[in-house]
Amino acid sequence: MNIGKNNQKMINKLEKRCKKNLTIIRTLCILVLVTIKEYFAYRLNFLLWRLRTFLNLLIILFLWEAGLKSSPSLLEKQAFFSYLIYAVTISYLVLGTRTTDIAGEINSGAIVNTLLKPISFFRFYFYKDLADKMINLSFALFEAFLALKIFQIKLLLPQQIVLGVILLANGIMISFFINLLLSFIGFWSREVWGPRFIFFILVSFLSGAYFPLNLLPKIIYLILLLTPFPYLYYLPTKIFLGERFPLFVIFLSFFWFFLTYLITKKIWRLGNKNFSFWGR
Amino acid sequence: MKKIYHNLKIFFLFSRYSLRSTLDHRAGVFFFLFGKILRFSFFFFLIFLVFSKNQLLNGYNFTQAIIVFLTFNLIDTATQMVFREVYRFRPLVVSGEFDFILLKPYPVLLRLLFGGFDFLDLVVLFPLCFLFFYFLFQLPSINLFSLIAFFFLLINAFLISTSFHIIVLAMGILFTTVDHAIMIYRDITSFGRFPFDIYRKSLRDFLTFIIPVGVMFSFPPKALFGLLSFQNTIIAFLISLISLFLSLKIWQFALKKYQVGGN
Amino acid sequence: MIKVKNLTKIYQVYYRQNNLIKDIFFRKYKEILALDRLNFSIKENEFVGFIGPNGAGKTTTMKILSGILYPSGGEINVLGFFPFDKKPEFLKQITFVMGQRNQLIWDLSAMDSFLLNKEIYEIDDALFKKNLSDLTSLLNCSSLINKPIKSLSLGERMKMELIAAFLHDPKIIFLDEPTIGLDIFSQEAIRNFLKTYQKEFRKTIILTSHYLEDVNRLAKRLIIINKGKIIYDGSLKNIINLYSKEKTIRLNLEKQPSKDFFKKYSVINYQFPRLILKVKRDQINQIVSQLSDEIEYVDITVEDEPIEEVIKKIIKNNEIREKYD
Repeated sequence: MNIGKNNQKMINKLEKRCKKNLTIIRTLCILVLVTIKEYFAYRLNFLLWRLRTFLNLLIILFLWEAGLKSSPSLLEKQAFFSYLIYAVTISYLVLGTRTTDIAGEINSGAIVNTLLKPISFFRFYFYKDLADKMINLSFALFEAFLALKIFQIKLLLPQQIVLGVILLANGIMISFFINLLLSFIGFWSREVWGPRFIFFILVSFLSGAYFPLNLLPKIIYLILLLTPFPYLYYLPTKIFLGERFPLFVIFLSFFWFFLTYLITKKIWRLGNKNFSFWGR
Repeated sequence: MKKIYHNLKIFFLFSRYSLRSTLDHRAGVFFFLFGKILRFSFFFFLIFLVFSKNQLLNGYNFTQAIIVFLTFNLIDTATQMVFREVYRFRPLVVSGEFDFILLKPYPVLLRLLFGGFDFLDLVVLFPLCFLFFYFLFQLPSINLFSLIAFFFLLINAFLISTSFHIIVLAMGILFTTVDHAIMIYRDITSFGRFPFDIYRKSLRDFLTFIIPVGVMFSFPPKALFGLLSFQNTIIAFLISLISLFLSLKIWQFALKKYQVGGN
Repeated sequence: MIKVKNLTKIYQVYYRQNNLIKDIFFRKYKEILALDRLNFSIKENEFVGFIGPNGAGKTTTMKILSGILYPSGGEINVLGFFPFDKKPEFLKQITFVMGQRNQLIWDLSAMDSFLLNKEIYEIDDALFKKNLSDLTSLLNCSSLINKPIKSLSLGERMKMELIAAFLHDPKIIFLDEPTIGLDIFSQEAIRNFLKTYQKEFRKTIILTSHYLEDVNRLAKRLIIINKGKIIYDGSLKNIINLYSKEKTIRLNLEKQPSKDFFKKYSVINYQFPRLILKVKRDQINQIVSQLSDEIEYVDITVEDEPIEEVIKKIIKNNEIREKYD
């Protein structure tokens, strides 16, 4: 009898938790769908955007194809091109974001609509980001496939998958928090595009979309490892390609994850207090 | 003559106001310049890095590759400086302010192309020129003829760029859902950042004769290195004339198709 | 001044076929008849109000008349020009003001924009000075012209827009919803300005507005458009004579009327001592004299139907007729 009651309690508890999880999944699904629909409302726009990113990938591959022409080691070439393909593809998973809209919403005051929703602000945008990442990734995979065919690259198979995925998750979160921070500038200023423009340029080079960062002079490389940039997609890519890193590098990935998280939380709180409806 | 003077006067007024609006946003000035310099140095470094693996890049040596890169930046910056207003065109159409421009008694197309002279690009242009001349004198052999050909091909590139920008404007009217037509142009032209010979022949031909990016960016340095045939030089000028003519036709077509701004 | 014959405008709206490739390469378009063979002419010094529901074609008409849009068919002559050619000589004689649309430079003062217009329209110094002082004093806003536009209120900004639009002394003025979104004081100020300005400088003005009050107070001639067709073109007074079949009688009673009374008349509202009746226009004299025999009242007033009601009716009738055509 007593045991039965306890069981009942357990079942109720479990049911509640399941329901909660289910609603989370459902919200996630709906947000994903809405985001996809938003994209498809402007599909020509989106396709052209993908065309642009593909052109950029082609240019880099052509550049290195010519650059490595006289390199004797076939293996080096294979590793190099595998790196580029992996890094660029993973970069869409890491960088794809919708948080860029937030600054405008803060400036116009429209952010109130999101704040009034009975869902955590961060979760709301994280789900949207996930949708964005999925859409972009599916196209990026196709483009990567095309690039493999055009350049006749033999892709190396991924290794150290568990560690790679964990570090990739770190990269995604670091990117998410930095992107949020860049939008939160909107709480204090209307000029939000500038820092984002700089960030964009920094990321494209310092995170390793154009070349593996270890090509850099040793000292620059080491200094770079202290910044958050290599942890976005350079490190996960290298891990997937089987490279080993000293423990402190892995540790730094977690360090940046927590640091950006804490800063974002803090700035969010400060910003909300400072929020005074710039909008007219 | 009087008309040209009148239009010039308006152009200077627009430029002055554009400068004052720019200076109103000081943080913007800093980020813009800083970002440009950053991107320039990064690509400069990338070329350096590629050459650290190699002495020649499909026949180009380091100095030549840098001159190609600098030529690209010169044309890219100069055209941005002159055609900055094109970057602001889509918001004008979407908000309906384009209507007001259509109502003004001045040449509409000129206003849309040249109405927003960008002084920040002018600031970037000076050190670029300096660098260009520095590397130019590193070349072992330059003769007067190739210099003159280079100069005219630069002007030719500017004409081709003008027609690209006109087409971007026309797209702004015809395809209102596309919000980055100008960036598509920028990405296509970025093929010109590196020596054209690193691309496959079919792509090269496509980018020379169909979308004349190659004529814009690869012909001038080739002429400088004495690698461009006389025949190709003539073709370059023909291509720019044809593209200018076509773009004007497209623009007139777009104006007739213009429906309602706003809403 | 303005002559329009069989003016037609067809919009092409592309619709989705829900097939990516078809949507990009084989777009299909729906054609929408925005203007259907309009005919009208407008003389110098007229103040014309365009009225009609949203999407009726008012703004489209004005945009074709000013040369912004290309007409699909018909003949247009404005000041002897075909507007779409955008001849500078033509554009210098017209102006277009759109409510809630900004043509002034956001970061700079209104004066900067005025000076720009001075160059664009080639206004000579003396005329510029005179027009500027006339306009600022009429709008009572000379203190605002040196402040950055972004620091002005919506109503103040509209005043600056009007000055910028009128500086070159245009002959024809197109006003598209000039008072939209403004508070009632600003609306009033702008109405008064337009009225005096038109009277004093003898301009031709074409106005659209959602606020009937604007049209009512300003325009002598009314053109009602619905679904791309003109369904009324005439004076404001005439519209009531022509279309209003009823009048309203308001009475202040002394005694309660008998029950029979209520059967005889169409009563709209009755709350002793107030009584409101609706009466056919042609029976008005007869009924007023009848009433004085039948009931006792303190006073009586006879009113026309409100103009909004009349216009609503015209548009509704037009739609019903179209359905059965």
